[in-house]
Amino acid sequence: MNYDILVVGGGIAGMESALILGDMGYKVLLVEKEASIGGKMILLSKVFPTLDCASCISTPKMAATINHPGITVLTYSQIREISRMDDGRFIVRLKKEATFVDFAACTGCGECELACTVAISDPFNYDLVASRSAHILYPQAVPKKAIIERPGSSPCSFTCPAGVKAHGYVSLVRSGKYEEAFHLHMEDAPLPGTLARACYAPCEDSCTRSDLEGAVSIRAIKRFMVDRYYKDHPEPEYGPPEKFFDKRIAIVGSGPAGLSAAYHLGKRGYPITIFEGAPQPGGMLRYGIPAYRLPDDIVDRDIKNITALGVEIKTKTRITSMKALKNEGFDAVFLAVGTNRTWKMKVPGEDLNGVMECMEFLTEANTGSIKDLSGKTVVVVGGGNSAIDPARMAVRMGAKSVVIMYRRSRNEMPAHDWEVKAALDEGIELQVLKTPKSFIGENGQLSKIEVLSMQLGEPDESGRRRPIPKKGSEFTLPVDLVILAIGLRPCTESFKDELEENRDETIKVNEETLETSMPSVFAGGDAVTGASMIVNAIGQGKRAAFYIHRYLQGESLDGITFDSRLPAVDKKEVIGRSSSISRREPIIMRELPPDERKQDFKEVECCISEEEARSGANRCLDCGVCSECNECIKACPADAINFTMRSEEQTHEISSVIVSTGFKLFDAHLKTSYGYGRYPNVVTAMQMDRILSPTRPYNAVLRPSDGKMPDNIAFVLCTGSRDHTLNNPLCSRVCCMYSIKQAQLTMGASPLADITIYYIDIRAFGKGYEEFYQQAKGMGTFFVKGRVSEIEQLDNSNLMLHYEDIESGEGPQTTEHDMVVLSVGLLPNIEALSLFKDNQLEADHYAYVKEVEEDINPGKTSIDGVFVAGTASAPRDIPDSILHAGSAAAQAAAYIERNRRSA
Amino acid sequence: MSTDRKIGVFICHCGGNISDYVDVDKVRDAVEKEPGVSIAKTTMFACSDAAQQEIIEDIRKEGLDGIVVASCSPKLHLLTFRAMAERSGLNPYQYVQVNLREQCSWAHRSDMQSATEKGIHLVRAGIAKAALCDPLTDMRIETIPKVLIIGAGVSGLRAALTLSDLGLAVFLVEKSDRVGGWTGKFGKMFSQNLIGEEVIEKLLGEVKQRENVTLFTSAKLIEKSGRVGDFSVKVQTRNDETISLDVGAIIVATGFDPYQPAEEEFGYGLKGVITLPEFKQLLDGSNGEILYEGRKIRDIVYIYCVGSRQDEDEESSNLYCSRYCCTSAVHTALLAGEKDAGLNQFHLYRDMRTYGKQELIYEEARIEGSVFIKYDDYDLPKVEYIGDKLRVMVNDLLIGGEEVEIDADLVVLVTGMVPRENDELTSILKLPIGLDGFYNEIHPKLRPVETVIDGMYIVGTAQGPKTMAESVASALSGVSKSASLLMKGYVDLEPFIARVNTEQCKWCDKCTEACPYDAIEKIFCEGKEVASIIPSLCKGGGACIPVCPEDAIDLEGYTDAQIKSMIEALVKDEETN
Repeated sequence: MNYDILVVGGGIAGMESALILGDMGYKVLLVEKEASIGGKMILLSKVFPTLDCASCISTPKMAATINHPGITVLTYSQIREISRMDDGRFIVRLKKEATFVDFAACTGCGECELACTVAISDPFNYDLVASRSAHILYPQAVPKKAIIERPGSSPCSFTCPAGVKAHGYVSLVRSGKYEEAFHLHMEDAPLPGTLARACYAPCEDSCTRSDLEGAVSIRAIKRFMVDRYYKDHPEPEYGPPEKFFDKRIAIVGSGPAGLSAAYHLGKRGYPITIFEGAPQPGGMLRYGIPAYRLPDDIVDRDIKNITALGVEIKTKTRITSMKALKNEGFDAVFLAVGTNRTWKMKVPGEDLNGVMECMEFLTEANTGSIKDLSGKTVVVVGGGNSAIDPARMAVRMGAKSVVIMYRRSRNEMPAHDWEVKAALDEGIELQVLKTPKSFIGENGQLSKIEVLSMQLGEPDESGRRRPIPKKGSEFTLPVDLVILAIGLRPCTESFKDELEENRDETIKVNEETLETSMPSVFAGGDAVTGASMIVNAIGQGKRAAFYIHRYLQGESLDGITFDSRLPAVDKKEVIGRSSSISRREPIIMRELPPDERKQDFKEVECCISEEEARSGANRCLDCGVCSECNECIKACPADAINFTMRSEEQTHEISSVIVSTGFKLFDAHLKTSYGYGRYPNVVTAMQMDRILSPTRPYNAVLRPSDGKMPDNIAFVLCTGSRDHTLNNPLCSRVCCMYSIKQAQLTMGASPLADITIYYIDIRAFGKGYEEFYQQAKGMGTFFVKGRVSEIEQLDNSNLMLHYEDIESGEGPQTTEHDMVVLSVGLLPNIEALSLFKDNQLEADHYAYVKEVEEDINPGKTSIDGVFVAGTASAPRDIPDSILHAGSAAAQAAAYIERNRRSA
Repeated sequence: MSTDRKIGVFICHCGGNISDYVDVDKVRDAVEKEPGVSIAKTTMFACSDAAQQEIIEDIRKEGLDGIVVASCSPKLHLLTFRAMAERSGLNPYQYVQVNLREQCSWAHRSDMQSATEKGIHLVRAGIAKAALCDPLTDMRIETIPKVLIIGAGVSGLRAALTLSDLGLAVFLVEKSDRVGGWTGKFGKMFSQNLIGEEVIEKLLGEVKQRENVTLFTSAKLIEKSGRVGDFSVKVQTRNDETISLDVGAIIVATGFDPYQPAEEEFGYGLKGVITLPEFKQLLDGSNGEILYEGRKIRDIVYIYCVGSRQDEDEESSNLYCSRYCCTSAVHTALLAGEKDAGLNQFHLYRDMRTYGKQELIYEEARIEGSVFIKYDDYDLPKVEYIGDKLRVMVNDLLIGGEEVEIDADLVVLVTGMVPRENDELTSILKLPIGLDGFYNEIHPKLRPVETVIDGMYIVGTAQGPKTMAESVASALSGVSKSASLLMKGYVDLEPFIARVNTEQCKWCDKCTEACPYDAIEKIFCEGKEVASIIPSLCKGGGACIPVCPEDAIDLEGYTDAQIKSMIEALVKDEETN
């Protein structure tokens, strides 16, 4: 778009310039980085010396600006860069940040804010109270629209392969919304009971808090939420869809991938048949994971989530041909047969009776084909998680001794450390640097293993040190049962003629769409990825469902992205934005003691209590701010919330620029001797202005430590101004007057309060200012000439000020106050200096935008055609900012007209 | 009262400005059953964009044909709500503002019950007026793309150039025979050390090159009539010639006078006691060492706040701070030090008001050796001759009030600014004057260069003390306002003008005598002589109305019927609880 003038910054100066230029008939683009125009002035209570409400003066300007036909307002937008074009005009590139709210639909009702489960500090109220991730900036915001603060995905939610919004349900549990938490989980993954027990929880590994004292116990919180829901709801609350599509889908395999695909497709309204070779559905969940980790009734309940949708599961039906399925009339097939076989060791004696594959053993143990191992010696070969499960099963089945034999050292074991530890606790023996050389049997029945000892050599391609056999180290070990757990193998043998496979026998697919080499056949889960996590398989099922749906609807699969999550936020930034994170230990799920758990297949882990769940969830740092809990979506009566919204880049051509980027407030923390941030009753003047404002956070003047009405308040002038120790020798120009104003307002609110203003010089120089100062004196405000050197906190949270009362001539003094207001000064907003790409916008010695001819050409900067308005170039009060903005507008208009004439 | 109207009433809390003293819910309850009222609501900030949107929705949904907003003074938000009405599709003149803040809540802070009762009556009067509001149309007047600037000091000259850039013709009228005002009389000035004289020369040079700027010196305004966008003025020039000009806007840049100390005020009148402008001129005229009446100066004492921040008990005292003088004094001390490094300079001040970046000049003066002594507001320094020595006695608050005596070669009274004596001009322009004697703006924050007279702007030190940079900023702000008025080419005027009922009029000529604007003429209508209003001249002043023996004249927007019905509503006595 073409505009005459770009105004950067929608504070009082920017609005004034824009309005004047709009009235002159120019096309103005006003860009504001916050979600509302109004700048800092709208945050004030009243303004000196007239004591007008800041709102009364700002709001009409804000309304006039947004409604002006000549002014286009872009809020929540950042200037990327401004550069000059060949014809002398400028080109501006800017980024309109996503608000995740459709402004055309939003009515500003604020329901989203009430529903939002994430608290953030409220910048409008200078952190005195909390706001929410979904919020309207303040009641008078223009435009009065909600925004959702959502700088990125939280690492936990971003890491989850199934896209489960971990931050979301943790946030809901924190808010006591347990059922909502469960339902949120169900949007992405239908097997929450299973995941709460058997998920390896990559979310916890990525949790920002894991870099501190320990991750948020996300899985334990999920366990609480699921167990509670399942107890209240033995059956799903929903049934089959009212109408089905006339496309039929076959799913081969009822493991986590197949179930997940069935669920997501079933929800969309497809009639689905799952074919399962085993007697019961669940695949790896039922047969691969021992019941002490994942009880059968949980698997059953989880599966009800799928069958409730009308999904039919045909067990004991092994599928061996895709063509046959298609011939039966299925329009699409999802192949998810998993990896329930084990690679052979290729050592003699592997075929002996008594040598079993891991999955074979677990299936037989889980189905009861093998019940009792009393008195038996069991050796499990392998070092991964799949070796731990059969070993611990064997313990529970009464084995006399159980050995895990691994060819490298414990350091190289792929099994999770906590799984190995649990096994050792249960009395399992670990024999490392050993490998079977042969299995020796009698009459076809295993009796001994010939074992070879190993030593570690150089690292191999996996980075782990390679095991090298030690010559002559062989010995034999008597054994009754050997379980081979050296890696799981896909059960894809039946399809190798129909579908292309990889060398490791996994099925070859398009990794994005999961399409196989045969049209209408999709594949996923371990059969595609190789042995992996349950949650990964669930994610594959969800992905397959997404593309199968598109395929069946005749929509293109090309160029479509399944995973549209925002990039994860930077953890360092998350930690950086909290001024203090107090140490809080993670909640740990209790386990049955080893002696007790060895007796049977009872679940080892115990669910945490409600209290633990909520306090554990409260440790969440809200990394991505918005938790994606979806409560706002449910609450919004206008259907205005849209999480798929993304920021948008815009480019505009303009003739002239007005920089009205305002000021930054001095950060009172930097004046360490005043104790701001350490002493609760030391507040900044901006906070005091909020406390005094008609839209104030509390309904009275209260001090923060105990909510007491202060009756002896001190104002400390020149905090951060006229101070070489803080590199700011300038006077901030407004602090004397706003402090006098606050003194008057405070006296109005609590007439009995004593107010003392500690000053160097009272700078009441503007029209009506001196009279205002005299009025405050007349009202009884004490003025003490003397700079405060230090503030100390007393036991009653009162504050002791050390200062020299210069005029009394009595030297250093101390006085006690119950609240102290630091009259913080103005500092330059250096963001202004990086707006321009090619030409440097020159700054003065103190980093304000330099006015190169300030006395005679107000607003003129070092770049021809660029003007500065308001506090971007110097500390100014409101009347002077308005005047300055008026002159910047005149300068910009004159620049345009001169150029037009000379063109 | 007609009851077929659909009036919406919106009562504003104004944050708490109103609702802390007036029970706005009670007001709403009391008025919602008034005849004609369809909807009555309270709102936190009626002027906020969101509240305006809600009112607009109500207007559309309820099909309202009149609205009353009970909030602040119409000076602040009448235009805000008229624009809102217009956006909603309602005629803006079917909007009535009730001033519940300045005229009620702020005036009766100690008695909520009575304030609430008064508020109810005020809102009822507003409703009564709204019920009789007819849709009116603005009078569109073509504007004249020319501006009259009065005063050719730095502000006037600077404004002229930018107006000329914008394509607006300028008539620059200067009372004295030379341009430049006070700036033109000075040498180096803060903050950029520009030489005042050179600044003026440069500006004047540019002005002379502009074809669309006409400069009159030794000229004064003698007459002004017309209205915003279309003023007629008469200027008397050097040869007593009178020139008539038509302009769309007027910028008043008449500057200030330096405070003239009274005889014996801080020793003024004694030899060696001079004012800051006098000293600056002395300094500008000296090369190297500074001589006063032939004698070399060694010790200078500056006494600050002369003529400013005076005690309010004194009659006609200047209570205000003159703003420029602290910085000007320290800057002058630096200049003096540059001329003669051996000077001893003592500054007797009350508060050093070197605000903002000017602080650096103050700091430099301290580093360069100026000594600062703070005197008490009620214990002023004394200046007198002890023998042939000029001596200053002061109690220095910075050392516990100890008495200090300084023998001075020169005492410089740091005099402030006072409003320029301009009674004739003020009365021609009918400009309002503030408590401090300077021309008064309509609102110090919202509209700092605008006056209650549309199209007339006050800039520079005519509005109040300012530095040169501030004066220029104010001048350009005046340019902005004039240009945003004139560049459109037209202005819409409130249609609140008189209207004659020709049936009743018997042409007695009384109204033309009463009208100060010559806005009434005699015409023939249906065979008889009647009065007729000239819309472009009528200001809606209403002087014609009470003098008409036939009650034949009415004022649009303030009809007799409306006023009567408002009075009835105001005095209506009934239980308000």
